[in-house]
Amino acid sequence: MRQTTDDVIGQLVAELEPVAPLNQRSGMGWMLLSLCASVLGVVLFVGPRSDLLSARPDPVFLIATGLFFVLALASAWSAVDMARPSVGIRRSGWPWAGMMAAVLPGAALSLIALNLANGRVSGVDGHGWACTLIGMGIGLLTAATLLFWMRRGAPSAPHSAALLVGVASGAAGIFAISLCCPENNLIHIGLWHGGAVILTGIAGRLIFPRLLAW
Amino acid sequence: MIHDEASLARLALMAQNGDRSAYAVLLAACRDWLFRYYRRKVHPDQIEDLVQDTLLSVHRKLASHEPGRPFYPWLAAIARYRFVDHLRLAYRHSAQTSLDEDMGATEPGDAAIAAKMSLDRLFDSLPMGQKMAIEMVKIRGLSIREAARRSGQSESLVKVNIHRGLRRLSDLIEEA
Repeated sequence: MRQTTDDVIGQLVAELEPVAPLNQRSGMGWMLLSLCASVLGVVLFVGPRSDLLSARPDPVFLIATGLFFVLALASAWSAVDMARPSVGIRRSGWPWAGMMAAVLPGAALSLIALNLANGRVSGVDGHGWACTLIGMGIGLLTAATLLFWMRRGAPSAPHSAALLVGVASGAAGIFAISLCCPENNLIHIGLWHGGAVILTGIAGRLIFPRLLAW
Repeated sequence: MIHDEASLARLALMAQNGDRSAYAVLLAACRDWLFRYYRRKVHPDQIEDLVQDTLLSVHRKLASHEPGRPFYPWLAAIARYRFVDHLRLAYRHSAQTSLDEDMGATEPGDAAIAAKMSLDRLFDSLPMGQKMAIEMVKIRGLSIREAARRSGQSESLVKVNIHRGLRRLSDLIEEA
């Protein structure tokens, strides 16, 4: 015989245990911890850029790495917030950070197009894919941390949350590898570093929703 | 009895701290709200099952309510998620049942028919192009190209129709 709703309520009340509310700051804390672990791992394994060691970093490196760092934080913040559902809340911060970071691949593509239009070599380096692959690989740690934390919550828009986890993990991975990558070339940074974030965003959107379902 | 927002948020906080009496009052208030919420969206035979499923989700995801935030928008988000999930599962089951029925395997179930009616009720508010595109690609699993060929729409129009149709459905579902 089917249970009545009041029977179900009685059972749920009997099973109640105290629960700690999900705290957005704890989610971000875990995310930052995973980012620190990624940075530490890659710096110890590959070694930092020489201009960082000499405390004279290149301005292009500073701007690009800063943008990826901000994008990682903004998208992780929105993703973590999505684990606590609420109708009517707008999370509009991360698209602005994404658009800022999109300036890099946009600039790279413009430079390549201009080079080709003027009969010069495109300027694309053939070894840049290594940064893309390593950055995406490192970002998996951030993705796993965010997914694990978010599964405790109730992301009610799993596809958007999955996209954000993908973008956050890619940006975090690229931030980490940027500290070791010696290139200051805008085409390299825009194409291979920016491309990694786009790819992880797409992969996250396709793969992660089923991991966030509840 | 309809509780005000502040008392529900307080009850939710007490429930998170393990207060069973507060939790019983909170779940009873959720039950009443959910019955009203689903009454306008699904077949009457399915309301109680859906309310019970949603109450289970409320129980499992109680930690995701942030103290200090309003309670009803949180409950509405949980209810909407369960409703969409219910429609997706029930419609797939309904499509499978229709297929089985065509093959003479089983009788169609009342629940499946009721679920299809719920979704059909929502689908009726969509323009024909959007309805066809969503049904072919999102429910029957056809490729964009195949859906375009069968519906006589261009591939880009199929994509646009899916996008607009899903947004419209989402808006309809969100309307409490």
